[in-house]
Amino acid sequence: MNEILLSNEVIVYLLSETVLYFLLFIAFLATIGLLKRWNFDAFTTEQFALENRSYLVMTIIFFVMMLKVVLLPYFVYTIDNLSDLIPGAMCGAGVVKANEYGNPLLALKIIILFLSALWLSMNSIDLKEKNYPYLKLKSWFFVLIFFLLSTEYLLDILYFTHIETTNPVSCCSVIFGQTGGANGLPFGLDIPKLLILFYLLFALVVLTTVSELAVMSIIASLLFGVIAYYAVVYFFGTYIYELPTHLCPFCMLQDHYFYVGYLLWGLLLLGLFLSIDAAIMQSFFKQPAKSLKRISLLLLSLFVLLCSAYVAVYYLKNGVLL
Amino acid sequence: MNNNAFLHFLTLLLFKQKGKHIGAVLISVIIIFLLSSVLFISSSLQSMLLGTLESQSDFTVSRVQAGKAINTPSAWMDKVLEINGISQVAPRIYGRYFFAPREESFLLVGVDLFDEQSSKELRSLVKGLDLKSFLSTDSMLVGEGVKTFLSEHYYKEYFSFKTPQGSFKKVKIHQALPSGTNLIANDMIIMPIELAREIFGLGEDEVTDITFNVPNDAEWDNIIGKLHLLFYDVRVVEKREIVKAYENLYNYKGGLFLILYLVAMVTFMLILYQRYSMVYSTERKEIGILRAVGWSIKDILKLKFYETAVVVLVSFVLGVILAYLYVFIWDAPLLSQIFLGGANLPNHVSFVPVLEFGLLGSIFLFYAIPFLAAVLIPAWKIAVTPPKEAML
Repeated sequence: MNEILLSNEVIVYLLSETVLYFLLFIAFLATIGLLKRWNFDAFTTEQFALENRSYLVMTIIFFVMMLKVVLLPYFVYTIDNLSDLIPGAMCGAGVVKANEYGNPLLALKIIILFLSALWLSMNSIDLKEKNYPYLKLKSWFFVLIFFLLSTEYLLDILYFTHIETTNPVSCCSVIFGQTGGANGLPFGLDIPKLLILFYLLFALVVLTTVSELAVMSIIASLLFGVIAYYAVVYFFGTYIYELPTHLCPFCMLQDHYFYVGYLLWGLLLLGLFLSIDAAIMQSFFKQPAKSLKRISLLLLSLFVLLCSAYVAVYYLKNGVLL
Repeated sequence: MNNNAFLHFLTLLLFKQKGKHIGAVLISVIIIFLLSSVLFISSSLQSMLLGTLESQSDFTVSRVQAGKAINTPSAWMDKVLEINGISQVAPRIYGRYFFAPREESFLLVGVDLFDEQSSKELRSLVKGLDLKSFLSTDSMLVGEGVKTFLSEHYYKEYFSFKTPQGSFKKVKIHQALPSGTNLIANDMIIMPIELAREIFGLGEDEVTDITFNVPNDAEWDNIIGKLHLLFYDVRVVEKREIVKAYENLYNYKGGLFLILYLVAMVTFMLILYQRYSMVYSTERKEIGILRAVGWSIKDILKLKFYETAVVVLVSFVLGVILAYLYVFIWDAPLLSQIFLGGANLPNHVSFVPVLEFGLLGSIFLFYAIPFLAAVLIPAWKIAVTPPKEAML
């Protein structure tokens, strides 16, 4: 008997994913029909039925998307909980690494969330027009997303059925730590350079977003995402844990650290999503996205402030830096 | 559309059409109540057990022969003491005493009261004990279950144990163990080690196992290695393993329940689908009017979504509150027996309230996603009815 599949969280998670996938499958079938027979200029009953059906697709995607936003942190919570069952794992990092499906699954989840957010923005501008100008485009886009979702569902099942409870996995300090003096940072960066990059890129994101340079803003956001990830794992994280050797993106999701990880990663991901979303809306669909921009800047600034606050508070309390 | 007007309309609608939703709310409340009661019990027991285990000794070693634990020579204690990093080594006599007439058993624990105990609970027990009067006669401390059981069998003050030699040993019941430890100490009897040795018929220099602590967690694996080098016929039980075993056990009980509950959830979805298809089809005219006065399909869908969300939230809150009352205030009559098991002495445990955000989230997802998904398609069907057709 597989203990993993009996864990309450895994059951709830897999049930939710199954129900959502079932709905998406219905939406997918409806979309195929739409793509085949859509003709806005026709005045047939079929066209009206198709227009109605497009509302079904829209509703389902909207519904699924909202729940996926909830399910991503829940997934992280689930694997964090599983760390008690798997020998050697202290937090989610080890559990994700328990088999080769974990990391692709997590990455895919984030990509899918981002793409579906884009779909929703596209959908909302499509509905504003009278003749559904982007219907074909958004349907094809959904077909693409659906294939990613199928992969995700498959990976979900493969991942949870292939976690061994007998083989020990690595703890986060082994995966991320600088054991043997190896530098985990890419591009030969060191901590001061990483921090300079972090703040400079943040400034760049703010500037490009404010000055409406769409392409630059997308590039800057993506770069900022990567650098922010490394900065949190290798620098800011150590202040959250108050331990210079503790490098881990997952441990901060636990209750010892007041679940601050959910807030931190949530702010970063949402901020990045919205800023890229706003840039794409502006450059490709010529839609002003003022409020999106404002929110994204707010979220990203909060993220940077939160990170810096940990360092500042540590310094104020102890009078030294780590 | 003015949002306030929309919400106002929604509330009016909900109050006007209470009857339509009461059925769904009732089923939902029952489903959530059952589900959350079981999960509350399971998580409360789990955290109570973990809390109790936390204060237990880190290691227990005993001698094995042919894979079975046999009596351990007390001389091992001195050897164990020599390993660096080990503290509070204490010998123990630990076994089951069968009360023959009713086939019930007590867990008999004999400890050396003058040694420093490795289990925190024993330590605090011994501290509060008046050793002089306890040791002046043969006496014992008994768990609540044992105490009631014995007094039912008219052993009010003393109990006579039968030794393997056939003689009787009369032992005074000194006092009952605190009821907070009921989960593990319900059928437990604690007595001085010499007395337990006599009752079980062990040799003069024999114990059943030796317990000790290793304060530094990082050294645990090291210590196990050292023990295996010292003795070749040793079995070492770590606290970590026990914790994991208990966690697995409760995951298993809760998980099995959830899997069986999946069937109920699927049925629930079908019922909801049917019911809402029906409910909504009676609303055709109303929707038609709304569409005719200028509502778009999107607005109708929004209305239906909010309506369902209110039903979901109301029944979730009601169900969870009921389950909370049932488990933590009334101590879950009936259901608790599934988890505690009544094979031996009857146990009574009052559950310590444990409410984790993650658990509530799990319950909510388990219930809300199927619910909303089942209502989605009927809601869409009614939302796209053309106004003209609806009026017919």
